[in-house]
Amino acid sequence: MRSVTRMVFVAQLAIFAATGCSSMGVEPWERDVLAKEEMQLVVDPLEAGIDDHIYFSKEASSGGRGFGGGGCGCN
Amino acid sequence: MREKKGKSIAATLATATCSLLGNTVSEPVQAQEEPGWDFNTALLFYDEADDRVQDISLNFLAVRTFDDDRSLSLGLTIDTLTGPTPTGAIPFDSAQTFTRASGLSTYTTAAEQIPLDDTFLDDRFAISASWQQPLGRLFTINAGLTGSSEYDYTHIGANVSLSRDFNKRNTTASIGLAIAQDDMDTEGGAPIPLSEMLEVGNLTNKMGDQSKDVFDVVLGVTQVINRNFLVKLNYSFSDSSGYLNDPYKFLSVVDPLTGDPVAVLPGPGPGPSHLNRYENRPDSRTKHSLYGQAKYYMNGKVLDASYRFMTDDWGIDSHTVDLHYRWPIGDTSYLEPHFRFYTQSEADFYRVSLLDDGLPLPSYASADYRLGEFDAITVGLKYGWTLASGNEMSARLEFYSQDGDAPRNQLIGNQLSRDPYPDLEAIIAQFSFRFGH
Amino acid sequence: MGSPCELLTDTDDKSSAEQLLDIVSAEAWRVEDKFSRYLPGNITAQINTSNGATVEVDDETGDLLDFAETLHQLSDGLFDITSGILGKLWHFDGSDKIPDGDDVKSVLKHVGWTRLDWSRPRLTLFPGMQIDLGGLGKEYAVDRAGNLVAAQTEAGCLVNYGGDLVATGRPKDAAGWRVGIEEPDDRSALAGQVIRLVRGGLATSGDARRFLKKGGIRYGHILNPTTGWPIEGSPRSVTVAADTCTQAGMLATLAMLKGAAAEDFLDQQEVRHWCLR
Repeated sequence: MRSVTRMVFVAQLAIFAATGCSSMGVEPWERDVLAKEEMQLVVDPLEAGIDDHIYFSKEASSGGRGFGGGGCGCN
Repeated sequence: MREKKGKSIAATLATATCSLLGNTVSEPVQAQEEPGWDFNTALLFYDEADDRVQDISLNFLAVRTFDDDRSLSLGLTIDTLTGPTPTGAIPFDSAQTFTRASGLSTYTTAAEQIPLDDTFLDDRFAISASWQQPLGRLFTINAGLTGSSEYDYTHIGANVSLSRDFNKRNTTASIGLAIAQDDMDTEGGAPIPLSEMLEVGNLTNKMGDQSKDVFDVVLGVTQVINRNFLVKLNYSFSDSSGYLNDPYKFLSVVDPLTGDPVAVLPGPGPGPSHLNRYENRPDSRTKHSLYGQAKYYMNGKVLDASYRFMTDDWGIDSHTVDLHYRWPIGDTSYLEPHFRFYTQSEADFYRVSLLDDGLPLPSYASADYRLGEFDAITVGLKYGWTLASGNEMSARLEFYSQDGDAPRNQLIGNQLSRDPYPDLEAIIAQFSFRFGH
Repeated sequence: MGSPCELLTDTDDKSSAEQLLDIVSAEAWRVEDKFSRYLPGNITAQINTSNGATVEVDDETGDLLDFAETLHQLSDGLFDITSGILGKLWHFDGSDKIPDGDDVKSVLKHVGWTRLDWSRPRLTLFPGMQIDLGGLGKEYAVDRAGNLVAAQTEAGCLVNYGGDLVATGRPKDAAGWRVGIEEPDDRSALAGQVIRLVRGGLATSGDARRFLKKGGIRYGHILNPTTGWPIEGSPRSVTVAADTCTQAGMLATLAMLKGAAAEDFLDQQEVRHWCLR
């Protein structure tokens, strides 16, 4: 339980830090690189789904990036 | 006369325009409708070493984008899984016979071999649909449904998430919820937890169908650091309740001194040669995950690095580090090496085997290697290229290797000289084709 | 040009972008100053105040007049740069003020390419006639700008004068320039079709903003110079993609002049087109 409390605290800190940093970032006209396909957080949703499924069926952890996934008889 | 003239208007006009503009050569126009549909297809081969599981799957994802950033995604996966998987029983210097889950027949594992259940022949059919649209200027909402079906397992789920932009869209906060219900119609019926494996034809230790419910919440924030650098942080909470056992997994019951499986007196008909008990896991599981991802652009090359920490109330902690590096080659292709490192600790109730010592059985016990302590490494390479038509293809090849050890303090007697923990090695190969219309 | 004009170029080099902008805007002003019928003293004004006298024109004007003549022939007389004076009668302001039939007839006496004499380089108008190069001037200016830009840089650029476009190549990291067609009734909405333009011209002819409505009938702004009345049955908007903006614009206009047969005409010409009704 201690590790959970610590983790939630770190997460909260990070979120406050991120939303508090209104000076960090770019102007709208500076988003050229960020608009590139290879700079998206999930470049290939199909491949991401395939990998999530493989690791869900062979390991005890799942999700993180999105929902826990699963929904199969493989774990 | 009029018809002929009609057809040559464009040609005459072209000539007249060339004279007007003084163009000696006019390159042909290239204009087309922006693809409304984006189709992504992938064929996957998954093959484990030692003749274990093989999986072939066909995956489709179609995304239709409408005006003002509304979109519909439809996904379909069809896969065929064959090959045996470890049951949790331990290897031993004699052959062992086990009753299949169906209760209809037996199978035998040779001496010194990790017992594998080869009844796995499973076809799975999974679909998903999701809708995304902006709500006002700064909010985006996404709602989806998922469903899958195998001969012994069905799943339905729904999810919704909301995100809001801040700071000129440099910061995005999101919250998502998902619920799912899975039903298991296990072959022969789910076994009564920790009951003994019985002889062929005896189904008195089986219960009926089972189900479980899963509830997930994800909180996330994405932050643009600078023109080339983006980070994301997610916190997830997941709660599962219901039947969380694997109905096909069991544990060997061993002699407390030798560590060898206890033999069973042969009955009138075929049955197991040694004592085995079906596993039991708690009927609830709560997981917490913290996930961080960074994307960094360096002069055409992109580094994608992520770390995930997971902890749950089964005593499992895991760390995952995942790195992708996209390296463009010319204008139309790229290479992308991939490295992933994963480590997990064992579940509190993970056991190598159960002891035949007359003492009460533990409440929970499982020898499923996926709840054990192990490290895993994935190393892969992907090559992608864009065709003249603008469509993309890619091919990737990866090696996945799991290496674990049974906890030394649980090994007894002869078990110390045999490694009962089944390591895993697999090849992953995938071909993709992405096109628009 | 009567509409906002822009140059889009995808480059990291600010000074080269500014240079291109200077070149393009200079050319746009030059064409407008020379041919606009609203400015006194230019060649159009000279011609329109000639009152029957012969005017000798330069090469560029001569090229445009030759082109106008070709279009007159290709359209069987429907495309006519002398029909501008009908605009005195028809004010397409969305109201219901339809001009009187007799007024139209009397103005028509001064309309008709066949009534003037064009023997390059001499142009003689019948007194009371006026020419208006507005129907092809903007597309011409777009292509002139496009040629200058293409001569100046390898980078893909888009010249856009109020919806008449030419692209000299794609932007650096996209498959093409994304161009949306306006919904005729709601200028802030897209008509559902986004066009990806890599190279070539794109022009739209339509009644999105200029029309009259009376008795339930909507009168588009394209007038039939032989009758003095708007063409009936035209689509609300026609967009054509062709090798140059001039060709695209002329084909769009010719299609509008065909009224109900607009789509058939464009199918015959085998050009990419989008008609909205």
